[in-house]
Amino acid sequence: MTLRRWEGSHERDLPVVHLGRGERPPFRDGGPLPTVNAPVLEFRSVTKTYSRSHLGRTTHSRGIVDLTWEVPEGESFGLLGLNGSGKTTTFKLALGLLRPTSGEVRILGRSPADAVALAAVGFLPELPYFYPFLTPCEALRFYGRLSGLREEELPDRIARTLDLVGLTEHGSRRMGEFSKGMVQRVGLAQAVLHDPRLIILDEPVSGLDPLAVKDFRELLGELRGRGKTLIVSSHSISELEKICDRVGILKEGRLARSIAHQEWEAAAEGLEGLFVETVR
Amino acid sequence: MRNIAILAMTGWQENLRRRFYLLSLAFAGVFLYMSLILGVLAVEQENRVLLDFGLGFIELMGLAGALYGATTIVLREMETKTVYLVLTRPVGRGEYILGRFLGLMLSVLASMALMSAFHLCVLWAKGWRGPEPYAAAFLGAYLKVLIMAALTTFLAIFSSSALTAGVISGVAWTLGHFLPEIRFLIIHGTSRAVIVPVFVLSYIVPDLQLFNLRDRLAAISLAAPEAGLAWWLGYAALYTAVWLALAWGLLRRKEF
Repeated sequence: MTLRRWEGSHERDLPVVHLGRGERPPFRDGGPLPTVNAPVLEFRSVTKTYSRSHLGRTTHSRGIVDLTWEVPEGESFGLLGLNGSGKTTTFKLALGLLRPTSGEVRILGRSPADAVALAAVGFLPELPYFYPFLTPCEALRFYGRLSGLREEELPDRIARTLDLVGLTEHGSRRMGEFSKGMVQRVGLAQAVLHDPRLIILDEPVSGLDPLAVKDFRELLGELRGRGKTLIVSSHSISELEKICDRVGILKEGRLARSIAHQEWEAAAEGLEGLFVETVR
Repeated sequence: MRNIAILAMTGWQENLRRRFYLLSLAFAGVFLYMSLILGVLAVEQENRVLLDFGLGFIELMGLAGALYGATTIVLREMETKTVYLVLTRPVGRGEYILGRFLGLMLSVLASMALMSAFHLCVLWAKGWRGPEPYAAAFLGAYLKVLIMAALTTFLAIFSSSALTAGVISGVAWTLGHFLPEIRFLIIHGTSRAVIVPVFVLSYIVPDLQLFNLRDRLAAISLAAPEAGLAWWLGYAALYTAVWLALAWGLLRRKEF
């Protein structure tokens, strides 16, 4: 089972664009959001503090602190950090699953709660779960409809997305029989099915075997070539090195450092050395 | 509206494939068969026992299915993170809760209808031909289950615990059948320490006794039965809407 090249016209006949490093992709004409020049994702002095009350006592814990950060359209951005550094919190804030304690989050120039903004986002959570009695086709039909796809375009979209993630032959099998890697592929399929401008992937290669990791990398490269904005978190520094234009290192809830591709390529110990130097 | 319909229909399909619903139907078969034995023991009142036992059992099985579903609507989806995949799409939280709730109630209706069909077959085979208002009894049972499912949905989101929500709902179900007695206590009680909480309780707990429609139809001669039906439907719709609105209010504020 391998990932296939994206063939045909998933993005309304938009040609595949292969970009050089540092080049920006062309913007889509007639897109639904009039904010093409705005950053795709923007955090302005965002702080998230978790408060928990138990037996009359309230305890506070840090999520992220004063995070200011933006991702321009077409960039492939990686988030690195130790466990508990705030990567998942950052994603949840971007997607409106959490609300900031202070500061502001904008996604495609809008609030994360805005339906138009959410329609342009695809999200793969860490270790996605699908009901075991559903087939990939059924799950994708459900998520595609919720993403606003029309009934008549769904069969074709589903077929091509399954082909893209290498699951065409398994589209009608119940997901209860699937391996972790196959479930992860369905997770990616639901994230890209509706052709979003921004794709957020939380630990996409976690727990995958080396071959599946390679397939995933190729697929992300394909999406990147199509001008999609990718934001990826991972513990795998080598993967982010291969996928990303820029990497941000979170340390104790703060964006401790933002490193461009050229910078880690020029560094003697690569991205790993810069990461260790930053988090120690 | 489209999102509500999508969530409801998918929820219905999902529920029908869950083992719980298949098991509930299997149990229904077994217990309805047992009612045949009870009916034989009742000698001259065989049909009466078959009817009451069967209807009561269908109501309880419907309630069990609804409580199980209502406690897991959000909690299970939060636990498995499937809720992320829905709420990170252009789906409002109100649409989510209403769609999931309608999906659940469609599943419960389907399972109760299937049990009733089996029950009616057994009754028919035993020579029962009415004129008991079976449809009214079925409707009453379903409305009770509907109200309890809405209350349980709210409790599950409020407490974030399926067990707590289930236990409180069980207590509310029991108290709901004793509301006339509770009201009697309010009128004739002497201690304020008892009357005040009981008074508050009487407005929170649904009056489930109202929905024993078969008894009520038999006990009172309604000049205009359709007016009575509208009142029962209105009460159930209002109660359900209030608890679902409160559940939506909680879910809007909830962080995942």
